[in-house]
Amino acid sequence: MNSNKPSVTSRLYAVWYRHVRVYGRNIISNGLPPFLEPLVFLVGIGMGLGAYLTKMEGVPYLEYLATGLLMTTAMFTSAFECSFGTFIRLEYEKAYDGMLAAPITVWDLLIGEILWAGTKGFFFTLAVLSVIYAFGILPVGLSLLTPFIGFFTGTMFAALSLLVTSFVKNINHFNFYFSGFISPMFFFAGVVFPVSNLPKIVHPISEALPLTHAVRLTRALSFPGEIPLLWADVAYLLLFTLLIGLAGVRRLKRRLID
Amino acid sequence: MTEKKQPSSPTQTGPVVAARHINKTYGSLRAVNNVGFSIQRGTCVAFLGPNGAGKTTVMKILYGKGEPDPRPDTYINVFGYDPRGEQLEIKQLSGVVTQEDSLDEELNVVQNLQVYSRFYGIGRRRAAARIDELLEFMELSDKKRSRIKELSGGMKRRLVMARSLLGEPSLLILDEPTTGLDPQVRQLIWDRLHMLKRTGVTILLTTHYMQEAAQLADEIVIMDHGNVLLTGPPQQLLTEQVEPFVLELKNKGLAADIEPGFGDEAVRKEEYTERILYYSHNSSMLNSLVGGLSPGEYHVRQSDLEDLFLKTTGRKLNELQ
Repeated sequence: MNSNKPSVTSRLYAVWYRHVRVYGRNIISNGLPPFLEPLVFLVGIGMGLGAYLTKMEGVPYLEYLATGLLMTTAMFTSAFECSFGTFIRLEYEKAYDGMLAAPITVWDLLIGEILWAGTKGFFFTLAVLSVIYAFGILPVGLSLLTPFIGFFTGTMFAALSLLVTSFVKNINHFNFYFSGFISPMFFFAGVVFPVSNLPKIVHPISEALPLTHAVRLTRALSFPGEIPLLWADVAYLLLFTLLIGLAGVRRLKRRLID
Repeated sequence: MTEKKQPSSPTQTGPVVAARHINKTYGSLRAVNNVGFSIQRGTCVAFLGPNGAGKTTVMKILYGKGEPDPRPDTYINVFGYDPRGEQLEIKQLSGVVTQEDSLDEELNVVQNLQVYSRFYGIGRRRAAARIDELLEFMELSDKKRSRIKELSGGMKRRLVMARSLLGEPSLLILDEPTTGLDPQVRQLIWDRLHMLKRTGVTILLTTHYMQEAAQLADEIVIMDHGNVLLTGPPQQLLTEQVEPFVLELKNKGLAADIEPGFGDEAVRKEEYTERILYYSHNSSMLNSLVGGLSPGEYHVRQSDLEDLFLKTTGRKLNELQ
């Protein structure tokens, strides 16, 4: 009789592996857009509009924008994964009911989900980074580490999205989350222009937004020496993920366990 | 990881599952009311009851998918483990078939099983052998590379069953395993469950089909409105609780011709809108009374589990059916 229950790592890996396999089935349709979207942005805004702009925070505009896009890509992929994706698995596919019949707990299930979203954040950042390198926008260097920031950005927005999902009863309500919170961050988190260009009164709001800190870290790695690395940003990312993730898992547990 | 307790060994006697005073309330609805039962190793217990009786809730509580109301007298023991806190140990030893199939549509048949073998900590090579074996066992070998969308309802159900067997479970928890399936598939599933039972697997299932319970169960538990109404071996319950013979009248209008013939005999009458059923111990009397009727108007038969079920749970629909 096999009574040795799998270890925590083995359980988390099993959940993560499930997502990899399911996602990997449609790798072209799932994996190509992360290359194309930033391309459109870089050409459309960076090269088009950027021609009229000189520098932002001492950095050429195209480079400034490109480094911001590294993180928005990670943000969008993980926010989608843990809102629409999670909701569909929860309410429509009933995938969690099947998974929770196997030897894993709700904590394994949802932390595995967050780690998977982080993985997507890593690879989506890597995809954009390779476009940036291919166009010669940035020199290969310390910026090679930005996919790791992409991972933590992914887990951060996964945690937040799980918390949001725990409140959502109707899938259309995610539109409020995306139009009201995720998309505006494009403009208030220093992606396309610096936070300092915004009215002073908005600054505290910008500082409170999770994306602001992810983008600042990315720029610190992309322009070493020019933009300082702030440990406060690192702490924000980790603390936000931990606290919001804890709240999200606790609330979702009530929906998963009858 | 340190184990607090060892699971009871296969040779050990005593029940595999023992539960007492399980209660579950959803708001003001009493879904499960003070339910208790025990299941001996290698036996099959079927939970019968109308929709909303609380059967599924009890199943979920056993493997930690549901939590009972916190009460001090609640006792649940599965292989020596309590699902409130030791769900992993229980699930490692159990296979669960949920009411809904919950297969990964994006993956094909074999990939679905590969993904789940990870949950049981089965390595790649051992999983491949185990999967082939299970597909063969559930007669799905030629569907190995099929997409889930291409499978019929019966194939999906068999695949979910194969999935539940990945961890070589000692206990199977099956929530309506054959609901909505055609007779061929149902027979195949029953056959496989018999085989598993013979190898010592304990089976716990819920069903609406009396034939299924009669086929598989050593013991049945009839539930309604969250209460256990009857427990026991099906044949014994049938003899104890229901008169052995039934006369079914297809047309109520004929009752006036029949009823005077009962005389002093004890006859239990169940009246429906169109039909009347008379339950009695005296088959020759029932047969002699229908002499004047034409064959399409009546039916004299032995009573079965369905009659027991209807007698126990009442024949009116509840608000959840």
